[in-house]
Amino acid sequence: MFLALKEIRHEKLRYGLIIGMIVLVSYLVFVLSELAYGLAQQNTQAISSWNASKVVLNSDANDSLSQSLITKQTADKVKLTAHEAYIGQAGVVAKAKGQAKLSAQFLGINQSQFIYKRVKVTAGHKPTTNHQIMVDDSFKDNGYRLGDKVTLNSTDTQYKIVGFTHNAKLSVAPVIYGTLGTWRTLSHVTSDFQASGIITNRDSFKTKTSGLSTLTMGKFINKLPGYSAQNTTFTFMIGFLMIIAMVVIAVFLYILTMQKLPNYAVLRAQGIPAKVLVTTTVSQALVLVIGGLAIGATLTLATVLALPAGVPMSFNVPLLAGVTGGILLTGVIGALIPVKVILNVDPVSVMGG
Amino acid sequence: MSVLEVKHVTKTFGHNTNEVTVLTDVNFTAAAGEVSLVIGPSGSGKSTFLTIAGGIQTPTDGDVVVQGNGLAQLSGKARDALRLNHIGFILQAYNLVPYLTVKDQFALVDRVKSKGNLSATDLRHLLEKLGISQLINQYPAELSGGQTQRVAIARALYQNPDIILADEPTAALDSERVKVVGQLLHDLAKEHNKAIVVVTHDLRLKEFADKTYAIMDGKMTVA
Repeated sequence: MFLALKEIRHEKLRYGLIIGMIVLVSYLVFVLSELAYGLAQQNTQAISSWNASKVVLNSDANDSLSQSLITKQTADKVKLTAHEAYIGQAGVVAKAKGQAKLSAQFLGINQSQFIYKRVKVTAGHKPTTNHQIMVDDSFKDNGYRLGDKVTLNSTDTQYKIVGFTHNAKLSVAPVIYGTLGTWRTLSHVTSDFQASGIITNRDSFKTKTSGLSTLTMGKFINKLPGYSAQNTTFTFMIGFLMIIAMVVIAVFLYILTMQKLPNYAVLRAQGIPAKVLVTTTVSQALVLVIGGLAIGATLTLATVLALPAGVPMSFNVPLLAGVTGGILLTGVIGALIPVKVILNVDPVSVMGG
Repeated sequence: MSVLEVKHVTKTFGHNTNEVTVLTDVNFTAAAGEVSLVIGPSGSGKSTFLTIAGGIQTPTDGDVVVQGNGLAQLSGKARDALRLNHIGFILQAYNLVPYLTVKDQFALVDRVKSKGNLSATDLRHLLEKLGISQLINQYPAELSGGQTQRVAIARALYQNPDIILADEPTAALDSERVKVVGQLLHDLAKEHNKAIVVVTHDLRLKEFADKTYAIMDGKMTVA
């Protein structure tokens, strides 16, 4: 570490540039990771808030809640307990006088069931009648207020915002909670239809009712439109960036090590153990990578704070720690590549003829 | 007392038609308290001799015995330890780590060899004797060739080795400094019982040597 720190202190420009490069790579990886996380969250925030285990859908709905319809006749065959809740989903466009139109997901829920009880109110109260709705906080960011009258889709019916809820998003759209009656109106279905699906928070829940299929929440989330494709894309981007980071760091450290070989040869001639030189190289790589990562993380935090709320980025410490660990590991692997060169350095190369 | 023995050492590089014999059946002995000078022109095999004597290179034939230890029998790690603890090298070029100040060059030795190095007082005297005590906060790039050479000498002596192998230690020095270095090596041998081996083509050092050898075309003779 002694040699590593002394060299960094002496060669400020050279090592400053390397740290700068690591900062840029780590910043890019962090921002992409937080963006991927933010987007993934906005796909599933509402679902996560219910803490549910499984979802029951119409077996012909291709595992999609928005495509699913369960008739009352079928629903009656399923024994519901306090752990199950009906849910009706409909894509809507919300508009209010003087406010921007907002695309949203309407979720009809039953007042006596667990989802209604789980949803948290940040202002106002939960809807109790067919003309009341509770909306995600992002409506507030767009100028909507408690008491505003909102129309949904092209209907003339007005719905009053009676409450706001936090982190309620589904498929990256804000959620509007209302009654199942309102859902039927918006979906243009009769009272013969009970809901889009049944949500349960019981792992042991099973139904053999014909025409219904049960999915785990994990599978259901993966089937959300675009969710898997988006996550896979981000995972590949982040993975490739990590590989690029490793290659770049390895190349830089290799070049630096090659430049230092005459010095290392002298030190080897003087009996300095190869272990000391290897430790120096690896510890130097760690200092550079940790320094770069710390600055990169600080910049990411500043970016998250500076960006408007509309950008789906969120600062997640465990995710950041995981990515940091990954880059640190790739940095160490990069630093270990020139170790063989160090071990084979020939002290004779610096002796005269 | 003999502390370094080079026994029937031959060193050959290359194979078949490219084979070059750099040293042929070299025998050499260095005793504690003596300065041995090996004089020869460039390309005569001086440095090869020095690297083999210091355990940096292995001979094709023959053996080197350092304080009773046959180097051929030692592992690479053990040879490293032997060099660190018993042999000090003064090299022609790249003697100093460029990103360490003069003071830190000695601190580095302390980090890898915590015992047996010169005391702070002895180091101060050594630096004063070499005329470099005012340079302790300078980097090698800020030193002249002569100053660099003297710091390199101090660096090698700092670890207080029993044997000092010097490769052209006066190459960059003027006559006055040659005398200082020659006298210093002589004093070290006499006062501290060190075995000093100097390979050089600088005949000005002859007056400080107890024994002088000549090396020519890989063959060593007593001069």
